[in-house]
Formats: sequence, C-alpha cells, structure tokens
Amino acid sequence: MKRRILYFIAPALLLAVGCAKAPADKMEAAERAAADAKTAGASTYMAEDYAKVEGLLANAKKEVSEQDAKFALLRDYGKAEEMLATVQTEASRVTADTSSKKEEAKNAAVQAQKAAQASVAQAQALVAKAPVGKDRAALEAIKADAQGLTTSLAEVQKSMDAGDYPAAKANAEAIQEKSRALAAEIQTALAKVGTPKGQKAKKGKPTRS
Amino acid sequence: MVRRNRLSPWRQRQGVILLTLLTLTPIVGGCVQEPPPELLQALVALDRQLVAVQGAEFAPDEYARFVEQWVAAQQRLLTEEDVISWPWETNQLVDDLRKVHQTGLRAVSAAQHRREAAQRTTKARLADLEQRHRTFTKIVEDLGSRVLLGESPMETALLVKQARTFFTDGQFTRSKQAIQRAHRLLNSQTAVLTNSLGRYAEADHLSTWHKMVRHTVEWSRHNNAVGIVVSKADRRLTLYRNGRPVLSYPVRLGFNGLADKRYQGDGATPEGQYRVVRNRDRGHTKFYRAFLLDYPNEEDRRRFRSARRAQAIPVGSLIGGEIEIHGGDDQLLSQTLGCIMLDNWQIDRLFESVEVGTPVTIVGATESSNPVALALAALEAATDAGESQAAGGQPGSGELHQPASAATDSM
Repeated sequence: MKRRILYFIAPALLLAVGCAKAPADKMEAAERAAADAKTAGASTYMAEDYAKVEGLLANAKKEVSEQDAKFALLRDYGKAEEMLATVQTEASRVTADTSSKKEEAKNAAVQAQKAAQASVAQAQALVAKAPVGKDRAALEAIKADAQGLTTSLAEVQKSMDAGDYPAAKANAEAIQEKSRALAAEIQTALAKVGTPKGQKAKKGKPTRS
Repeated sequence: MVRRNRLSPWRQRQGVILLTLLTLTPIVGGCVQEPPPELLQALVALDRQLVAVQGAEFAPDEYARFVEQWVAAQQRLLTEEDVISWPWETNQLVDDLRKVHQTGLRAVSAAQHRREAAQRTTKARLADLEQRHRTFTKIVEDLGSRVLLGESPMETALLVKQARTFFTDGQFTRSKQAIQRAHRLLNSQTAVLTNSLGRYAEADHLSTWHKMVRHTVEWSRHNNAVGIVVSKADRRLTLYRNGRPVLSYPVRLGFNGLADKRYQGDGATPEGQYRVVRNRDRGHTKFYRAFLLDYPNEEDRRRFRSARRAQAIPVGSLIGGEIEIHGGDDQLLSQTLGCIMLDNWQIDRLFESVEVGTPVTIVGATESSNPVALALAALEAATDAGESQAAGGQPGSGELHQPASAATDSM
C-alpha cells in the first residue's frame, strides 16, 4: 500500500520542486524600466545607451524563451532573472542620466529663449521708432519681420512644451540673431535720418493713394 | 635484524593524493582561460567609437546586433570567469568575443559610411537651400513685392539658419527636416507671387496692355501732342511726342506697386488709361511738383464695386484717390503709397510739355519678356527643384537665374 502511494507522491514532489516558473513579474518590471527610459527621452538624448538597454532586454527575453523551450524539469530561470535585474538597473541609470541631460538641454534652451525674447523686444521697440521717411515697403517689411520674430517665439515655446529642447534652442538662437540684424537695420536707417549738426531732421511724407 | 621503517598504507595513499594534486594543480590552474585583455579593450573601444559615430542613428540594425551580442558576452564574462576547461578544449567565449568584435567593426563601418553620406547630402542640400533663399530674397527685393509675403520671409530665414545650426551640430536628420520645411515655405511664397503677379506673363494681359500703349502712342501721333506711358514691370515712364518717345525716366511706384490698385491703402499703383486733370506746381503739392491723374475713372469704379460685391477687398475699404506723378526731395523714399515718383529735375522736364488732358497710360508691362515675367519664371524653375527637395529628393543645382535687368538709360 505504502509503495503505491509513493508512486503517486514521488512524481508530484518532483514536479513541485523541479518546475521553475518564468520570472513574469521581473520581466514586466524590466520592460517597464526600459519603457520609462524611452519616455524620459533616452532614445533622443542617450540613443546609444538606450539601444544597450534594448539589447539587454532582448537578451534576457531570449534567455527566458530558451528556458521556456526546455523540458519543464530542466528549466532554470536564474540567469534570466539576473539579466532582467541588469536591464532594470541599467534602464534606471539611463533614465536618470537622460533626465540630467534633458535638464541641461532645457536650461540651455531657456537661456536662449530669454535672450531671444529680449532681442525681439528690443527690435520691436526700435520698429516703433523706424523713420517715417524710410521706404514704406521697407517699413512694412520691417514690421512684418518683427511680427514674424514675435510669432516664432511662440514656436520656441511650443518646442519647449513638447520637450524638444534642441529644436527650441536652435530656433531661439536664430530668432536672436535675426532680431539683432533687424535692430541694426533700423538703427542704420535712424542714423541716416539723424539730425545733422543740430538741425531738425527732415521727415519724409508718404504720398496719398 | 634490520628494522625497516615502512609507511602505513594510509600514509602511502595520502602521499599519492598529494603528489597527484601537486602535479595537476598547475595544469588545472592554467585551464582557467581568460579572454585576451587586448580583445576586451578593442571591444570597449569599438563600443565608444559607435557612440561617437552615432551608431544608433546611422546603423540602427547593425548597432542593435552588436549591442545584443556585446551585452550577452559581457554577461558571460561575469558568469563564466571561473569556468575551468581542459587545455585541449577551445574557449568558446573568446571565439564569441571575436565574432562580437567583427560585428562591431561592421557596425562602425556602416555607421561611418552612412553618416558621411548623410553629411554630404545634407551639406549639398543646405548649400542649395541657402543659394535659393539668397536669390529668392534678391528677386523679391528687386520686384518690390516683399509686402505680399507677410511674415513668411522671416519664417524662412529662421528655418535656413536652424538648418545650418543643426548641420554644424552634426544633427543631419534635423537639418534635412528644416531644409524641407524651408523649401516648402519658399514654394508657397512663390505661389503667392505667381498668383499676384502671374498676369505679367499672361498673353491676354500683355495683349491688352500692348493695345493700351499703342492707343496712347497713336493718339500722340494723331494729335501732334504728348502722351505718357508708364510700364510698371520696367519701372519706367516714357514721354511720347508726336508718337515718338522723347524722354524716358526710371520711376518709383507704390510699396506694392506691381499689383493693380483695388482699394485705398493697398500700396498698389493703378493700371489703366488716365488723363492729367491738374498740374500742381510748387506750393500746391507736398511733393515738389505733380500731375494729378483722374484716378479713379469709370472703369476703376466698376472694378471696385465688383470687388466689393465679391468680398475680394477688406470690408469698409475705400477706392482711394489723389494718384499723382510727382517729384520729392526725400531720397530715402523709394516707394510711394501708389503714386508714380520721379526726381525733381525729371518732373521739371515733364512740366515743360505735360498739360491738363495729357493721356497717361499705366500698364503692367509692354513686353512678354518683362522683368516680372522673367523673375517669376526663375522662381517657378526653382520651385520645381525645391519641390523635389521638399519631398526629400536628391539635391540639385538649386540655383536661380537672375533675370537680366531691363533698365535702360534715360533718353
């Protein structure tokens, strides 16, 4: 009787002890960590490091698949678990480094944005002083350019809001340069119509139409 | 009796085991095969090189393959560092590391090759764009039609600048995106210009203008009198006497002078057949001396009413008036609000001949190969190339050909 019981208990015990379970929770955690790194902008700011995280994850998945394919009693997910732990650690590091890099990029973009805003404000102030005698077309062009610069500042903000700091910085720097050029153009025009030797400047009058 | 000092069997076994261990230890110790350090250093260097050449961007598949193999190998380096193998066994890990190295070399080569190709292409496209932008700006300036384009020229200039910044920073993909957007903007501005000024190249308009000019010249011949013809495309006023041109001066037009006048404040110079209704001498005009024209005439009024009905002009617009041919002492003023402006000495010369009733015909152009038509053709040609590039095609010459200047000396 005892022998018969053993026939049933022994395989059951073997199954209970020998069958390893796939580390689903660890896999989920590793995948989440990799996704978090991507969400943080790692694929943009740390493309190569992020690719390594993906590589680590792919290898871990491969290891899990290899173990899954084995006979149940021979499965060992120990290595896979270690690999998944590495994915998680590495992904967390990349996320942290990305945040740091992103913060640096953000600071640079904010600086450029402030400088651009100041330059546009200066150019706008000069537009108000643009000489009346200057060509109407040129004056209209200057006004349109100044307006274009102001509109583009909104584009910078849009890039900032989207977290695209390199685009925001490049745009802000371009705006700053163009604002300075526009201000210089108006100042040159102002200098041309400036009062020579204490005389009152002669103002050009537009014709009627 | 000689007593022999014999070791016990247990001692003998101990000795044999010790001897065996001493013999095997160096052999076994030598079988812990570590990968050659120079191979590992080369792999680390490759990894760094791939970061430098932006492997993830330029050779994503090759880089992913390398990364996968390299991280797997690193994992094995940690787990298999104490594995003992027999001297006659090959070290699989070292073999695999060599394969990883080969994969890495291929990835570096691919990334470098593609990065250089991207750099070359972007450089060429950027040069094309910058050339197109410069020439476009020059043509628009020459046409005096900047006012038609609003904020777009600044938007384009900012994109061109950004494209250059991205290129300098090695961000070729972003640079190309900025280039494409700039081309699209240039194309749309060309469309605006073509829409507004396309009539300068249209046979119907040219024929009508030609007839108007011929009519004025014939009138001058028939009446032995003077008549004035203004060609806006050429920015030139010609005085005819007895049907023959006797004076010709360059003129300055409205700030949107190439457009046909539709309402007050549009900066356009009207087109049509007018007459001088008043000679305004010094003290009677703000602009030295002037000839007041009969704008708006009946045809202008009809067109204005039609445009207002069609809501083609801003609500509440007026038709305008006070269109003159005048002088002016402000050298900075190179455009008017719609009048025709000459230098004072030129208006003095006209005052010698022009009287009330003198016909003044203002047309867009008198020749099919007028400067505006040529400029539009050049812009259109650049648009074809630009459209290809805006769609991400290969860079072309992108160069615009400036139309030959139609300016002539005064007669």
